[in-house]
Amino acid sequence: MVSKVLVANRGEIACRILRACNEAGLATVAVFAENDATSLFVELADEAVMLSGETITETYLDQSQILSIAGASGADAIHPGFGFLSERADFARAVTQAGIQWIGPSADAIEKMGDKMTARITMRDAGVPVIPGEEIEQTDEIEALAAIEQASTRVGYPLLLKASSGGGGKGMRAVERPEELLDAARGARREALAAFGDGRVYLERLLTGSKHVEIQVLADRHGRTIHLGERECSVQRRHQKVFEEAPCATMTEEIRAAMGDAAVAAAMAVNYEGAGTVEFLLAPNGEFFFLEMNTRIQVEHPVTELVTGVDIVREQLRIAAGEPMSCGELHIRGHAIEVRLYAEDASKNFLPAIGPLAVFIPPEGPGIRLDTGVRQGDEVTPNYDPMLAKLIVWAPSRIEALQRMRRALDEFVVLGTTTNLRFLRELCDVPDVIDGTTDTTMIDRLWPQGWNPQVPLEIEDAALMAAAIGESAGLHRRSHTSPDAHASAGPVSPFATLNRRFP
Amino acid sequence: MEHQFSGPDGPIDVTVEKRGDEWLLGGRKATIERDGRLKVHLANGEVGYATLAKVGDHWWVHFAGHTFNLERIEPGASQSGNDGGLTAPMPGKVLEVLVDVGQTVESGQTLMVLEAMKMEHRILAATPGTVTEVFFASGDQVQQGSVLLAKTEPED
Repeated sequence: MVSKVLVANRGEIACRILRACNEAGLATVAVFAENDATSLFVELADEAVMLSGETITETYLDQSQILSIAGASGADAIHPGFGFLSERADFARAVTQAGIQWIGPSADAIEKMGDKMTARITMRDAGVPVIPGEEIEQTDEIEALAAIEQASTRVGYPLLLKASSGGGGKGMRAVERPEELLDAARGARREALAAFGDGRVYLERLLTGSKHVEIQVLADRHGRTIHLGERECSVQRRHQKVFEEAPCATMTEEIRAAMGDAAVAAAMAVNYEGAGTVEFLLAPNGEFFFLEMNTRIQVEHPVTELVTGVDIVREQLRIAAGEPMSCGELHIRGHAIEVRLYAEDASKNFLPAIGPLAVFIPPEGPGIRLDTGVRQGDEVTPNYDPMLAKLIVWAPSRIEALQRMRRALDEFVVLGTTTNLRFLRELCDVPDVIDGTTDTTMIDRLWPQGWNPQVPLEIEDAALMAAAIGESAGLHRRSHTSPDAHASAGPVSPFATLNRRFP
Repeated sequence: MEHQFSGPDGPIDVTVEKRGDEWLLGGRKATIERDGRLKVHLANGEVGYATLAKVGDHWWVHFAGHTFNLERIEPGASQSGNDGGLTAPMPGKVLEVLVDVGQTVESGQTLMVLEAMKMEHRILAATPGTVTEVFFASGDQVQQGSVLLAKTEPED
């Protein structure tokens, strides 16, 4: 039984989970750091408890504090979302030992898949193909660097350095030539240590021209382990996904069946429970290789939801409560595309940006879904990940989905903070994207000198004219969206009363 | 009414004229909508709506799917100079200082490594020169725009 869920996360994914709990009739508890006190997810929870501490380590990563809040609030389940504690086996174990239901796979499954080397061995034994690569076990800087140099000669170039206990592009470096290796290795180790508290890295061959294709799996305690088809997430910048879709444009029934079987085998090999994602590299010749398994809900899960009609988070709740999953046969219907709206300057090598969301007007209309943790008036700070929202569209065909995405991005208005909106909009016009022939190196290939927006002069002149009119007419003083408006609103009248008449 | 905005190649002067409810510039005209947006008629006959917000001295404008961040230059204000870009692009922490005072550096050489939003950012020398000052040490917190290092510029 699950009746009250504590969501150990923040932002967009916390909102997604809290809403699912709400729909399922489950009570909710949010935990939040002080700088999140006015964030949307805090508002969406039935109860919200402030975490003491300032850094992420002292707040969203503080296992004992979160566990004691769960105990005090009477929560009988914890949903970790993604990032933070979602793939920490020790936390999953502590939650379970406290008699609280962990919404996710067992600590044992997280451990096996979380350690990339163990995952590779487990996959090889289960008959799932893996990429040539080696784990560097040394933790001492000098020894590790020597071991990395030796391993690089066996793995071959180009190669990829990854944090052993990582994800999200942190601690990841592509190395084209041997002379770049040591510099990249130092950076990867340092980033890995800072982000995950573990500086170990992993080397693998970089398969160029490949697509990043992943399979969503679901497993319950009633003997069912199924897959929900694939997502393609090849379009990445700095190893972070920006454009995701389902199904993959070049997928065949044969490859989908083979990849789906491999993903189900991977999940069953670790007695998986709940929702998970098995990532593969799909080479141009149709060969595919296991990359890693993410033992959590994933950022891009909505595209699968839109084409399969399955509410994955709702299934997670159902499975954690010991019920059988509710989905039947796999039917893929239409096409879904997701783009990630980041507060970043795409023309300055995707440098994160901060500022107020003075205006935040998302697009509307048929086939459009917005998953976000922010609203107009919020401040984008350097404290957390710069992802502001996920814009997801569904349409009957891939061409129509792209047309809908272009329209939606043109309507999306974000003012006050630099975002990658225009970059995403231009992506929709790239021939590789239109043809569905995207691969993981596309952004670097298309814009080797960095991206810059293509702005027609007439549009830029109109914007300058608009700004000049805004200044002349004093629009910033009368606009309800201007931050100045709040400051000039003045104190609340002490004589204000509420008169309610009763019949 | 004349206003000045900073552009990539120096200040841009924009003069708009008001006639009744209409604002005019070249062949364009615009009216202010009830919600504060502008309805803009372009010279080529196309019509679009501009959404505006002012944050500090910056006018943010969304028009035709494009977003602009236009810094208004206050009348009489002098433009701030640029010291070769050796400033922190984001608030963050100094991870590593790779150069010492007096060291000669090549253009493109990494001078400092910062961490912000869990990602590393490298501060590179835009031009060759000699490091004259290092203002922060490893572990220091820096604000956006903080000058991190100073170096000589090539003479010519």
